[in-house]
Amino acid sequence: MIQKIDAPISVDLYFDHKLRKVFPRLVIWEGREYLITKIGLHHAFREGRILYHVFSVESPSLFFRLVFNTESLHWRVQEIADGEPN
Amino acid sequence: MENPTDLPFNPKPPTILHLDLNSCFATIEQQANPKLRGKPVAVAAYTTPSGCIIAPSVEAKRLGVRLGMRVKDGKMICPHLIVLPPDPWKYRNVHLSLKNLLKTYTDLVFPRSIDEFVLDLEGFPAYAKGMLEVGKEIKERIKKEIGDWLTVSVGIGPNRFLAKTAASLHKPDGLDVIDRNNYLDIYARLKLTDLCGIKIQNTVRLNNAGIYTVLDFYYASSWQLQSAFASIVGYHWYLRLRGWETDDVEFARQSFGNSYALPKPLVSPAELAPLLRKLVEKTGIRMRKSGYWTKGVHVALLYRDGSFWHRGYTLPDYIFDCRDIYKAAFRILLQSPYQKPVRNLAVSCFNLKKAANMQMDLFGNLEKKQKLVEAVDKINEKWGDFVITPALMLGMENTIIDRVSYGNIKELQNMVISNLCADDTDFQSKT
Repeated sequence: MIQKIDAPISVDLYFDHKLRKVFPRLVIWEGREYLITKIGLHHAFREGRILYHVFSVESPSLFFRLVFNTESLHWRVQEIADGEPN
Repeated sequence: MENPTDLPFNPKPPTILHLDLNSCFATIEQQANPKLRGKPVAVAAYTTPSGCIIAPSVEAKRLGVRLGMRVKDGKMICPHLIVLPPDPWKYRNVHLSLKNLLKTYTDLVFPRSIDEFVLDLEGFPAYAKGMLEVGKEIKERIKKEIGDWLTVSVGIGPNRFLAKTAASLHKPDGLDVIDRNNYLDIYARLKLTDLCGIKIQNTVRLNNAGIYTVLDFYYASSWQLQSAFASIVGYHWYLRLRGWETDDVEFARQSFGNSYALPKPLVSPAELAPLLRKLVEKTGIRMRKSGYWTKGVHVALLYRDGSFWHRGYTLPDYIFDCRDIYKAAFRILLQSPYQKPVRNLAVSCFNLKKAANMQMDLFGNLEKKQKLVEAVDKINEKWGDFVITPALMLGMENTIIDRVSYGNIKELQNMVISNLCADDTDFQSKT
């Protein structure tokens, strides 16, 4: 089931300066920790002057669409899915 | 100069590569969400039962879901179909990533649509690797650098048409060449309607001229084809099928337009006015951003009973301000003789001219207006679309949302989003 939401979320983002790699390693949602196993896609867009980075990521049980606001440096989750049809 | 009419098949080695991202929007959604991979997915303009499916995934296509179907029909064929709304920025980002990757092979990269590119490798160092090798390498690099679920069909030929035809021979994930050595074998396997640009009407035209197969089409003389199509188009087909280039033409911008499928059946001009205003705003902003003014405004109405009414007017002067475009569009709307529930409302501006080529206004009034509109556009660009908005549009924040079109990528090329990603940081890595 795909659930569209728009809520703040805690994200642990890792940057490896040697490999020049960035990935969110962990999200904490509703008090539970979800280890990220795969980044499906990263993309970015602007709304006015604000640049947003979108990480579509997967944990073993759930998919998260995480949006990073580069002005406030805050994360929000905009979609959670388990891969089943609604 | 007379057109040559006894041409052989083009003997030059194939240097044109056509690349087509398979089931574009649906595949990108599966790339983003790995939990959707291997499942029937469809991207629809609206996810409601009467929404139109604009991209079924490879799995959905295998089950019979087709482009243009209603969501309810798709779900009837495939009850487990996962229907998603479009996410334009996702697709635009992948398009730009593909373009950047392809630019490493040749400077001559031509996006034909959001999911199609044409490359000309003639004279570029990558050509020395061999066209098939380049095709294989591009496929591998797309999987490694952009997305491991993305597959592309690659076609190679001596001209754009044959490269596109080759790309459509094996879908998904094909890699084919059409050249002087195999063109007759391939033509023998194709139907007329397999050729891009030949559908029912053109098949009828060709049948009337005694042409029933692609081989008949190839062997037909130039005059026979010109007579079949009753125009120079016949000669272009004569060249195309012989591998000579006729399609390397970039058309100038002819119009800007926006349309909206109404969820509620609105009838009167007063009810339609706020929607018309928003459509005009979106069209006007895009037009000015691309540096054009307009002299023509067109409004089209598709009614719920299937009937259609449209009218366009050429104005005495060029205009750029959305208030002026709206005045003209609303005047046209009032002329509609029908008071029936509307299904689709569309507005477009035609008869365009580059703003830089405009004559200056003697009394300077136009300049004042231009500066005001430019200031409003700048504010909206900095703080977000429709921060300054006409009062008529109040309460319309979530209507007429951002859309991405398959064919029109002219504006996408103008979008300055090169600064979206910080230097060469890799965001595609997996833990």
